[in-house]
Amino acid sequence: MMIIVIGITLCLPSAGLLLIENASQISQNIEHEAEISIFLNKNISKDQIDFIELNLKKNNLVKKIHFEPKLIAWEKLQTKLDVAVSSSVSANPLPDAFFISLNTLDEIKIKKLIDKLDGIDGIDSITIDGNWIKKLRIALSLGKLSVIFLAALLIVVLLVVIGNTIRLQTLTYKDEIEVSKLIGATNAFIQRPFMYTGILYGLGGGIITISILKLSVIVLNAALFKLVSIFGTDIIFKDLPHKYYLYIVILAMFIGLISSYISARNSIKRLKIYK
Amino acid sequence: MITFEKVCKSYPGSPEILQNINLEILSGELVFVTGSSGAGKTTLLKLTSALEKPSSGSIIFESQNLSQIKDKEIPILRRRFGMIFQDHKLLYDRNCFENVALPLEINNMSKTDTNRRVRAALDKVDLLKKEKMMPITLSGGEQQRLAIARAIVSRPSILIADEPTANLDKEYAEEIMNIFYSFQQVGVTVIISTHELPSSNINFKRFQLNEGSIQNLIGHVHLPS
Repeated sequence: MMIIVIGITLCLPSAGLLLIENASQISQNIEHEAEISIFLNKNISKDQIDFIELNLKKNNLVKKIHFEPKLIAWEKLQTKLDVAVSSSVSANPLPDAFFISLNTLDEIKIKKLIDKLDGIDGIDSITIDGNWIKKLRIALSLGKLSVIFLAALLIVVLLVVIGNTIRLQTLTYKDEIEVSKLIGATNAFIQRPFMYTGILYGLGGGIITISILKLSVIVLNAALFKLVSIFGTDIIFKDLPHKYYLYIVILAMFIGLISSYISARNSIKRLKIYK
Repeated sequence: MITFEKVCKSYPGSPEILQNINLEILSGELVFVTGSSGAGKTTLLKLTSALEKPSSGSIIFESQNLSQIKDKEIPILRRRFGMIFQDHKLLYDRNCFENVALPLEINNMSKTDTNRRVRAALDKVDLLKKEKMMPITLSGGEQQRLAIARAIVSRPSILIADEPTANLDKEYAEEIMNIFYSFQQVGVTVIISTHELPSSNINFKRFQLNEGSIQNLIGHVHLPS
């Protein structure tokens, strides 16, 4: 019973960690694809395009430049929509565009770059695609803090619950403890089996936590697989790295050890012998 | 071996249980502490085995002052005593063998030595055939013999027994006393608290306690058979 309690209790912050790890993974992937889209005037000349490209290449903040001519953009759109758009639209409505990846997400630096680009002749509009990533990152940091806070609270709960169980066990073994003390057992000797019990509780609880998390990942991915087939998106819920699972088990065993040590020591000390 | 010098013992809010006790127990002696209920016999034994500390005075055991002994040294000291309690203090969820093996477990003795020693101790008290039995199935006398086996298994230099025959009929009481005499014969110091002296042909020392004071000290006495 105690093992199940530990397992489920540790599951809550661990599941939070799993979610945050996955969200972080997504945010990191998106960060590399973050772009500024520069849409050019419709009647822009080749020289002006070359001049803008040269300006972009000179800028240190620019990591990658991709120029998309309006004709290619138009073809792509038609292919993607899979309909004869050209039949209803008389002329290509899309402009030529530069899509640039940046080295930074620093708002001030990006603003300076946009101000600089805004002054160049031939640029119609500039769109920043990376702002929401910043917001996502802030949300993730808050999420991480919440998980840490929740984990700290639940660790205290576990310390109390395991400690109380061990205290009740010392009462169950009161006679044995008393006799052992009378015939020369040290407190450390008497405490030892209770500490082993605490460690085993932690180990069992940790294994249950891992089992629940692994099962959750399998179930979620099975559900996501169905979504993939419907929407054609490529989302996979990633499992935690193995080292995290090791940390969870070690943490659970450590909690078991600490709470049983404190509880057994206090109970044994309080036990009056040979009345 | 054990010397009490002006030892007093009292508990908060109660009158002194032991007053100005002076006594000496030599190695290999058989000592009876006698007196009526509440005379302080159990307290005297508790002080002797470091289960309690005196309120004043000093108790010297082999040049070690038990009144000033550190808490962490007490378990090691207790291993040198064989303790037998009036209520046996057996573990009723363990069989006879496991009960006797407990002090050796505490001493971290190997399994082979433990087996050998436990069987020897059970044989000494004539309980070897009942090693697998649970203590609850034994008679009162057998339970007391089992408690003696547990006390002697670690080969202590002193055996301390608190009213070991109090709940036994005459036949069993005599049997138990004979076991103690046999240990004294091989050099073990035996201290027994009792209401009344047994009739036996042995040498012993007696301390008579009356309301916390030793009333009379009888030296080595040889009782006629």
